[in-house]
Amino acid sequence: MTKERPHISGKLKAWLKIHPWLKIIALLLAILVWFYVKGEIERFE
Amino acid sequence: MTLTFKTLLEITILWIVIYHILIFFEGTRAIQVLRGIIILLLAFFLFQKLNLEVLGWLLTKLFAISVIASLIIFHPEIRQGLARLGQRHRTGVNSRKQEFDYILTQTSKAVENLSKSKIGALIALEKNDPLTSYIETGAHINADVTADLIQTVFTPNSLLHDGGLVIQQGRIMAAGCLFPLTQNQDLSRIYGTRHRAALGLSEETDAVIIVVSEERQDISLVYESRLYKDLSREELFSKIKEIFKP
Repeated sequence: MTKERPHISGKLKAWLKIHPWLKIIALLLAILVWFYVKGEIERFE
Repeated sequence: MTLTFKTLLEITILWIVIYHILIFFEGTRAIQVLRGIIILLLAFFLFQKLNLEVLGWLLTKLFAISVIASLIIFHPEIRQGLARLGQRHRTGVNSRKQEFDYILTQTSKAVENLSKSKIGALIALEKNDPLTSYIETGAHINADVTADLIQTVFTPNSLLHDGGLVIQQGRIMAAGCLFPLTQNQDLSRIYGTRHRAALGLSEETDAVIIVVSEERQDISLVYESRLYKDLSREELFSKIKEIFKP
């Protein structure tokens, strides 16, 4: 008997359902931090 | 500034790291401080964009101090997090299932022995909602789940026997923890503080709580504000398995 593996989109949906707000906040922070650090590096150079 | 593969990779890595930091602190008292730091960070970026130099300067200093302060205040949490990074992750459905069965066997064995010896007990098993804030009210243990250890914790006159024991991610994380008491006035007077604490915790979280009555020697299970009374060891085992079934 073979067990049906969940499709990649199903896996992605399940992943998005866990702590969706934390994921959004983390992504926003990641973008902010990246641009800030990039700006600082460029200013330093 | 162009978006290259390297940029996306860097942002993704940053995202994963920040997300795991947030997840790690969620449910602990540190999350409030972390929230404060995030607000400071957002305000700082906003002031920079608006060219508000004085406010930006003030926030830079405040931010630097708050980072150092949080390192000092939350050093136990940070240490625990770093230790967790070094732990090996057990993967594979079969090994996890076997581990869960072992934990349940040990817990139900301890509960049965405690009931036979007329010793009261209160054990909370974490499901999805984190019990970290309750763990912080007790004494940290962080040990493997064994029947002997559970029985030792609840031995009368031991310093930790009065509160609740918390099992989180397959480990006994703390004992002597304080759980909130239920405000339900309809609960029969025959139920004491342990049952009230179990119901109180289940009203606030999705934890599975086992209660052993000292007077009546019966084993009860509390889940989603419901009390399942007079359970045998086998009934307790299958009921918990049913609740945790994915």
